[in-house]
Amino acid sequence: MKQLAVALACALTVLACGSPSPAPEAGPGGAATARGGTVVIGLLSDVQSWNPYLAEDSATANLLALVYPSLAVEQADYHLHPPSFEPALARSWVWSDDGLVLELELDPRARWSDGVPITSRDVVFTWQAQVSPEVGWLFAAAKDGIDGVEAVDEHTVRVRFNRVDPYQLMDLNDGLIIPAHAWAGIPFDSWREVAWRERVVAGGPFSLAGHTPQQEIVLERNPGYFRPGLPRLDRAVFRIVPSDRGLVTQLLAGELDFVRSVPPADVDRVRADDDLELVVYDDRSYTHICWNTARPRLADPRVRRALTMAIDRETLVDVVYAGFVRMAVGPVLSSFWAFNQDLEPLPFDPEAARALLADAGWRDRDGDGIVERDGVPLALELLAPAENELRQDIALLVQEDLRRVGVEARPRFLEWGTLLAALDGGDFDGMVNLWEEPTRIDLAEVWHSPPADGASLNFGRYSNPEVDRLLAEVAELAEFPDRKPLLDRIQALIVADQPYTFLVENVRLTAHSARLRGAEINAATPYFNMDEWAVAPAGAE
Amino acid sequence: MIRSPRLAVGSTVLALLVLLCVAGPALRRPAPAGDPARAALLPPGAVATEVVLDNGRSLVSPRVAVTEHAVVVGGPLRDTEVPRERVVDMRQVRFWLGSDRFGRDVLAQMMNGGRISLSVAFLGAVIALFAGTTVGLGAATGGRWLDALLMRMVDAVLAFPVLFLLILVAALVRPGPVLLVVVLGLTSWMGLARLVRGQVLSLRGRTFVLAARAAGCSPTRIWQRHYLPNLAGPVSQDTALRLGDLVLAEATLSYLGLGIPPDIPTWGSMVAQGHRVMVDGWWLATFPGLAIAALVVALALIGDGIQERLSRS
Amino acid sequence: MTRLIARRLLLLVPMVWLVATVTFVVVAAAPGSYADTVEHPGLTTEQRQAIRERYGLDEPVHRQYLRWLGAVATGDLGVSFVAKEPVARVLARALPPTLLLGGAALALDLLLGLAVAVAAARRPRGCFDRLSTVLALGLSGLPSFWLAGLAVLVFALLLGWFPASHMHSVGAEQLSAPARLADLVHHLVLPAACLGLVAAAGTARYLRSTLMDVRAERFILAARARGLGEGRVLWVHTLRPALLPVVTLLGLSLPVLVSGSVVIEAIFSWPGMGLVLLQAAQARDVPVIMAATMVGAVAVLLGSLVADVLYAVVDPRAREEVR
Repeated sequence: MKQLAVALACALTVLACGSPSPAPEAGPGGAATARGGTVVIGLLSDVQSWNPYLAEDSATANLLALVYPSLAVEQADYHLHPPSFEPALARSWVWSDDGLVLELELDPRARWSDGVPITSRDVVFTWQAQVSPEVGWLFAAAKDGIDGVEAVDEHTVRVRFNRVDPYQLMDLNDGLIIPAHAWAGIPFDSWREVAWRERVVAGGPFSLAGHTPQQEIVLERNPGYFRPGLPRLDRAVFRIVPSDRGLVTQLLAGELDFVRSVPPADVDRVRADDDLELVVYDDRSYTHICWNTARPRLADPRVRRALTMAIDRETLVDVVYAGFVRMAVGPVLSSFWAFNQDLEPLPFDPEAARALLADAGWRDRDGDGIVERDGVPLALELLAPAENELRQDIALLVQEDLRRVGVEARPRFLEWGTLLAALDGGDFDGMVNLWEEPTRIDLAEVWHSPPADGASLNFGRYSNPEVDRLLAEVAELAEFPDRKPLLDRIQALIVADQPYTFLVENVRLTAHSARLRGAEINAATPYFNMDEWAVAPAGAE
Repeated sequence: MIRSPRLAVGSTVLALLVLLCVAGPALRRPAPAGDPARAALLPPGAVATEVVLDNGRSLVSPRVAVTEHAVVVGGPLRDTEVPRERVVDMRQVRFWLGSDRFGRDVLAQMMNGGRISLSVAFLGAVIALFAGTTVGLGAATGGRWLDALLMRMVDAVLAFPVLFLLILVAALVRPGPVLLVVVLGLTSWMGLARLVRGQVLSLRGRTFVLAARAAGCSPTRIWQRHYLPNLAGPVSQDTALRLGDLVLAEATLSYLGLGIPPDIPTWGSMVAQGHRVMVDGWWLATFPGLAIAALVVALALIGDGIQERLSRS
Repeated sequence: MTRLIARRLLLLVPMVWLVATVTFVVVAAAPGSYADTVEHPGLTTEQRQAIRERYGLDEPVHRQYLRWLGAVATGDLGVSFVAKEPVARVLARALPPTLLLGGAALALDLLLGLAVAVAAARRPRGCFDRLSTVLALGLSGLPSFWLAGLAVLVFALLLGWFPASHMHSVGAEQLSAPARLADLVHHLVLPAACLGLVAAAGTARYLRSTLMDVRAERFILAARARGLGEGRVLWVHTLRPALLPVVTLLGLSLPVLVSGSVVIEAIFSWPGMGLVLLQAAQARDVPVIMAATMVGAVAVLLGSLVADVLYAVVDPRAREEVR
């Protein structure tokens, strides 16, 4: 069974890399075009706010993308090259020659759920809300490169940029279009006091039919949706289940049709269920141990390399992930276009690890099984989030592996809030963490030397002047092909320094009802083409 | 002295459990080494072969084959071949209660974990006993104002959401056995304080105490002869039951991730961890769960036995 | 008695204030704040700082405390950081499910506990007595999360008799009123049984022992001597005095009724007070934590008062104890 799992994972990986857009209509029996039906989707947390500019978490943003329209849809081809965009509310766009002005033409068929047409006024209003300090949208920085958004006529919008940059369209497309006719009357500075649930006007594929907080969200077909004949589903129900385990239990009990992430340990049970299908695909994330390089014990790259080489990552893949993932190499995922193909994971070699530690002055002189230097034993605390069982398992396995080379690593599980405070304060030795990689390759956020006050996503305080210099150079280049050689060199430097022990590149295991048709499931967004999803009538296979 | 069957059964079970935890590891040959890749989730009674390598590492698998040049150790995903000259020793090991997700022997873990579970509950109960008795006696004998003050204090402590307090305390201090003992002790004395106070107040009005006082007995003597013997019964019964509650509380805290660090197994954390794989490894949560239940039942029987003896004498 | 009740009610305010203040201090002292718990892979350090400023989490603790105290004094519980709506609404929504679950469990607890204890006490050391004693002991010795997990596994997954979680089925809002009620009861069975059975085991044990105590009292012997039937002796003369302590137990179970069971609510995704408090604590949602704590504290203090008063009413000897 598990051999099969690996084989299947490999096959799907190849498929995912080889053909960027499998035809969504290719459901067996041609049932994909059927209209109607309900899909029940498991969700870990409730929506924070029905106004996309007031929520702070990503789960809310993902769900609201079904209710509010986007100008364009970012495609799932980010691993081949920087992601491309398909028209959505904007059915076409034209760049000026200098690359500073963009004219978009909106789909004239688009209607809000109350029947009012979606016009350029909505796009302008959205931009005003996005950059308003009273609204205080957390991600307003994405709009720094935009000088103005203006309505040319009812269906034409002109956007003026102040710089040319490879990610201009991505920045413009960030954020959902909101209804000016319904919301413009509410002053920005009172947005935080409004009960938005009662003011939802949908312009995406679905509109809000009901929301019982902490229980369920019911979306129904928005008849004014601009793509003709879509969505196929009548209703999409999101059931809130606050734990991974609960989600799987409900999936197996037949109470859910779609769970985005099944823990590897439950895969066999999902597979054994004839009513369920499992989709295995590369996630945009890698799991690693972030070492605090500011700690004198961990400052030496030889020590960090030794730690990595002491960890049996192959066993870790088998035990924790049931063989589903592959070893990670460096700071760029190996499936991404920017990955340096010359790099390989450091080997598993406890003897070499011991030798490296001895080189760095760490030897077991008192025979207690733990190496020491200047009388101080190499004892580390390994943090992991209390909410995440996979990462806890990793910490427990790593503890065993490191003990064999004379390093004591005691796991400590903290809930996320506490953990992040420890990371921000630099008050940790090592931390089993996961980075979800944006489709925009931006290595500076994590790998540039930390600012003077120390607070950045570079939790481990990694600092390499050569990396800093190359990162600055990359930022100057507007063309992707020019950036690639520099990115390659940065990756090589980071892999040699091992500020992280790169463990595994994650695979996502999505389970859905066998009756679900037309779903294109990928790591771009959780509900990528939900307007095209359909449900085969009961009994049809 | 009246014999109580409940007391006898309860004490025997308790003694057996304690003996198993204290002397068990010594009685048993070295427990099988943990091999997460090959010996994970073996059912109870499974026999496996432990292959000891020259670098001190052990591979454990139920499927080991010896060929001319190599020892092939089977695994669920792939087999591992080890050259024969690298194998120092090969021996049969039996997982009496199965193995966990990391290939560790459940029985060995239960013996180690039981020591911690029992000590945590015992020490927590001692703290509760001390704090509860002190506050209860203080309230009953210290006059109106002290009584009102202490009883409102009891109410206030009861009014704290203990669980939530623990979440935050665990964030402040590294969770560990000591913290757990202190927290469990300090959050479970209130019932005892009420009990002691109530007993003393009701004894005060009883005829034999009034008679003793009228006969001019000194307060010390009255305490020795009348209060303490009458308090001892209910207090020890309550403490026996409380011990059981504390074992359960430790389990619940571990389930919520607030207990003892995960690399130290306790019965509670074993149930909590095993709970995740109820279907694939029913034995993981079942055996420590049964141990907890046996302990709680034994303590309850002891408590009942004490009460039985009291009511008969 | 009236003076006692009045005094204790007056004391309620400073005591709730004390509990709330200590809670606030502990929350403030714990590392991490709501800004650190927001789940978003793209959030930069600056953006987390912006969240901190938005909710005033960057201010000194005493300023945050005074601001909170001032708002509460005017009846304003604040706005939830997570749900972005008034805390009063969050709690008002969570209270009915908890009352429903707690009420159902309490009813099961009392009815089953009473029935088992009476049946057992009819023939002490009989077959049923021994069997029920062992069962009750075993039940009260199992961790509740384990029992709940097993119940889900057996009755929801293997047998499929009951739903594994939530209060309603998908699409229940379109059903007729009786069908909706049936749906709700269907969802209530497993969590209420898990809560109620364990409690019933305790009640049965407690009630049985008080029944046995009362049986040994002189007035029961007198009743028997008068030639009254065993049934009448049990129901009229034994049960009434034995039930008195149970009545006071009712007062003490008020907090569970209002604050909910964190473990059971979490396992069954039951949207009650316990789940709200657990999630608020994990997300460091200070306004919700404070409000839920205060509601819980009021429940505990009132419950304790009710228990004391009932005790004094039913047992005049205990008057002196209640002050």
